[in-house]
Amino acid sequence: MTQEALKSTRAWRSFWFITAYPKTVITLGLALIIACASFIPTLIKDTRSDAFLPEDEPALLYRDKVKETFGLTDPMVVAVVNEGSRGVFTPHTLNLVDWLTKEIAKLDDIDPDRITSLATENNISGYDQGMRVAPFWEDAPATREEADKVRQAVMDFPLYVGSLVAPSGKGTLIVVEVPDQEQAQSLYQQLLALAERAPRVGEEEIHVAGEGAVSGYLGSYIDADAQRLNPLAALIISTVLFIAFRTLRGVMLPNFVVAATVAASIGLMAAFGVRFYVITNGLLPVLIGIAVADSFHIFSQYYEELARHPDNSPREIVVRTMVHMWRPITMTTLTTIAGFLGLYLASVMPPMKYFGLFAMIGVATAWLYSVTVLPAWLTLLHLRPSPAYRPATGGAYRTDAFGRMMTAFGRMVVRRAGWVLGMATLIGIAGIYGTLHLELNESRIRTFQKDEPIVRADSIINRLFDGVQYLDIFIETSQPEDLFDPANLKRIEALQAYVETLPHVGGSTSVVDYLKQMNRSLNEGRPEAYALPQDKDLVAQYFLLYSASGDPEDFQKEVDYDYRLANVRVSLDSGKYSDEKAVVEAAQQYIDQSFNGPGIHATLSGRVDVDYHWIKRLGETNWGSVGIALLMVWLMATLAFRSLVGGLITVVPVILTVLLVYAVMAFSGIWLSISTSMFAAIAIGLGVDFAVHTIERLEILLRDEQRSLDESIVALFPTTGRALLFNFLALALGFGVLATSKVVVLQEFGRIVALAVSVSFFASLTLLPAIAKVFRPGFLGFRNNEQPLALGTELQD
Amino acid sequence: MTKTVLILSMLLTSLGTAAANLPDGDEIARRINARDEGLSVARDLTMRMTDRRGKSRTRETRGFRKYYGEDKRTVIFYLSPKNVKDTAFLTWDYADPERDDDQWLYLPAMRKVRRISASDRGDYFLGTDLTYEDIKLETRVSIRDYHRKTKGEDEVDGHPCYLLESTPVDAKTARELGYGKVEQCVDKEIWMTRRARFWDTKGKPLKTAYFRDIRKVQGIWTQHRIEVENHKTGHKTLFLFSHVDYQTLVSDKWFTRDALRRGL
Repeated sequence: MTQEALKSTRAWRSFWFITAYPKTVITLGLALIIACASFIPTLIKDTRSDAFLPEDEPALLYRDKVKETFGLTDPMVVAVVNEGSRGVFTPHTLNLVDWLTKEIAKLDDIDPDRITSLATENNISGYDQGMRVAPFWEDAPATREEADKVRQAVMDFPLYVGSLVAPSGKGTLIVVEVPDQEQAQSLYQQLLALAERAPRVGEEEIHVAGEGAVSGYLGSYIDADAQRLNPLAALIISTVLFIAFRTLRGVMLPNFVVAATVAASIGLMAAFGVRFYVITNGLLPVLIGIAVADSFHIFSQYYEELARHPDNSPREIVVRTMVHMWRPITMTTLTTIAGFLGLYLASVMPPMKYFGLFAMIGVATAWLYSVTVLPAWLTLLHLRPSPAYRPATGGAYRTDAFGRMMTAFGRMVVRRAGWVLGMATLIGIAGIYGTLHLELNESRIRTFQKDEPIVRADSIINRLFDGVQYLDIFIETSQPEDLFDPANLKRIEALQAYVETLPHVGGSTSVVDYLKQMNRSLNEGRPEAYALPQDKDLVAQYFLLYSASGDPEDFQKEVDYDYRLANVRVSLDSGKYSDEKAVVEAAQQYIDQSFNGPGIHATLSGRVDVDYHWIKRLGETNWGSVGIALLMVWLMATLAFRSLVGGLITVVPVILTVLLVYAVMAFSGIWLSISTSMFAAIAIGLGVDFAVHTIERLEILLRDEQRSLDESIVALFPTTGRALLFNFLALALGFGVLATSKVVVLQEFGRIVALAVSVSFFASLTLLPAIAKVFRPGFLGFRNNEQPLALGTELQD
Repeated sequence: MTKTVLILSMLLTSLGTAAANLPDGDEIARRINARDEGLSVARDLTMRMTDRRGKSRTRETRGFRKYYGEDKRTVIFYLSPKNVKDTAFLTWDYADPERDDDQWLYLPAMRKVRRISASDRGDYFLGTDLTYEDIKLETRVSIRDYHRKTKGEDEVDGHPCYLLESTPVDAKTARELGYGKVEQCVDKEIWMTRRARFWDTKGKPLKTAYFRDIRKVQGIWTQHRIEVENHKTGHKTLFLFSHVDYQTLVSDKWFTRDALRRGL
């Protein structure tokens, strides 16, 4: 294209216009960043695992109903453990339980009536003349005899063995209901502080665990993590930028685009009241990576133009650069948006949906700043060539060692095109095999590193007790007081008996257990009387009798006020999806076949059920989101290249990427889980850029009739190839930073996306040239009547 | 400026004078406890308990109470609902603080009288929002457990009353009673509490009780309606008394385990 022809294009005129008012454009750009960033302080963090389910999810609705009716939440569980020979039944340890219970009751964010421990619960016991309902102690035991009495009483109350005290006697729990999960983080910290200053002696240990604690811990964990990781990612990416261009502007201006991208995405998130979820942490490196990607290509072209036309004005150089680059960066922006649109459309879980949405906003912002503020700024700066691009004779330039390395890589690819295609096929087959063997699984506790106190607490509690993962069974009858009916109570008893046979179920509690204990107490404490009363009126009278000594609210965790609704709380010692799934599905089957009947109906609920539903959802929607993301990217690429085949070839590297990563996951035992399920959509969105840049440049290079096919392909490498190399390094290292996160799921996410980006980069730069050479697709400008070239014969060194 | 100070100081003086004219706390307590409650009483009591979701339980009873010196015996027979009909509850309260009260319950479905463990003073009475101590005191106040002072005057349902503030004598007593502070509005004329507000041991509002429909029965001022709301749990209790009779002498035989079994 001649100079005049170039200057008459619409692109030239557009960028000539933008660069006419550089200061205005920069000021507007700055103002927009400040405006968006001003919302960031209002951002709300949300680490609840409930946040992953849409608010109208039936499992959540039932869970809330259980919470509303019975006051049961995801509690904090404080375990007092004494591995000594007398277990926790020493005066000192029981006093410790008493002290902790009282201190916890003083905390602000809790309801003191919603603490369950040996110090709060009533013992129901029998003696010759009647029943005694009384606390295990009024004043905590002072002597060994008193402590032994407490042991005897507790161990004689089946309901509490396993749930409140360890069957071995080595531990006892203080269960603290958390009225508002938003307070979990501060409450968890307060409990830890209490545990710290508790007067412990000898072998006494205090552990804090439970779903409430996990949420609480995760909140502070993520804060600390983000404060460390994000500056590190910025530093690494700046270093890559410096190596690529070795100029100050080559580092600072892309960082300006990063600032704009993050401000727009996170600022709008805050402005619209969308919360910052656990996985939103993964969005930050995605945004940073996206923001600098366009810069790599613009700066590469900028320094190339500068080396070729050293006598041009800064404005001319900038406009030349943009005329060449606006098309590929617009295309990659559109394909990346298409990828995240796929994630947005296919996800049902709000955190993932929003991840897609705000990634799209980020991509669009990065594009906007790259084509306006970046050129405006470069127009203002004096021309200063990059040491990486040296002018040579005849309007050419010499590239640096990276460029030469890429050239050598390009020659190898062209020479071994057949080999490349063969390898890709093998990887594809292995990938399909791996994909079919992926395991869907999740476990919240896995979020943390194994040496974290919360992980230790969880494993100790699950070992000593029935378990602190709760499945609630919500039972509805048709009329008030229907729960006095022995037939209904028997059904509940049978349901509990069945559920307790399932693996990982430690035990279960319901009003049935209290009635049996009362029945036994009123029959002189005879063990064989630990059974349900047979008479409806007697059940009613037992409750009345109990109310003579207990609180009006004593049974509110088990039955509602008019005895129509009941709850069975089942304890599991594992929070792993595959274990929860087995229990939930078996329990549901039993309920459908043997429990539900006229006048009585059970529904599963509680943390375990909610987890089961959303992880299951995750598995069901994962393939959909991958498929939709691929479809959207293919559509966009087809439109961009105006060719169905072109669109198809563009998605080949990302398909290969996804398959390879799935295979790696399957073979190394990494689960398809919250963290890893999103990688595919992200990898597609980010990875497709490599393919689009490669094909776009190939298209231009192949039109040059003066070069042979192989020479044209090799010419791709020192220019676009070099820019892609740095783009790839920035992304891979940026996500690599996540691998040093303290949050295990983010580590996995970082490693997998880094791997995916690497695979996309190599696949784009090897497979696409090989396809071009071997299949000579028409959309790249090949004429169909030309004879296919013999592999690897044309290249001259 | 000087004027303002003058007015303010006049106001303060007049307030001070007003407070000084009020009877002191112990005097109010003495007047309350000097009231005639009748040696014995027979009455019907309907108890309606409502939880914070608005679901309620209603129980109708017939009961007797009789003083034996400072000691007191109470028996309650349940009339409805059907599934607890004939259930009966007997208490022997002793004035001696060292002696545990005796309690028995008759369960008709078991045909057995069962002794139940002595309740703590702060325990709730039969699923209501009143504690055993509240029930035991009826319209009286405990001299031993509290320090008292007069806070001022107020009005309940149009009746002028003194505000009596009572604080438990020590932390242990507060824990036993379940109260950190009690504020009563005591009718100036008939020395009956018309409203009582309770705070828990952490100083948070616990419950408010209104004593209404107070009228003379056989010469004795008698409350016919007690409304209690627990601010922490949202639970409410309504007591309705009727057929109150102080004159017909209540036989000692009602306060025995045999009477529980025999029923009304």
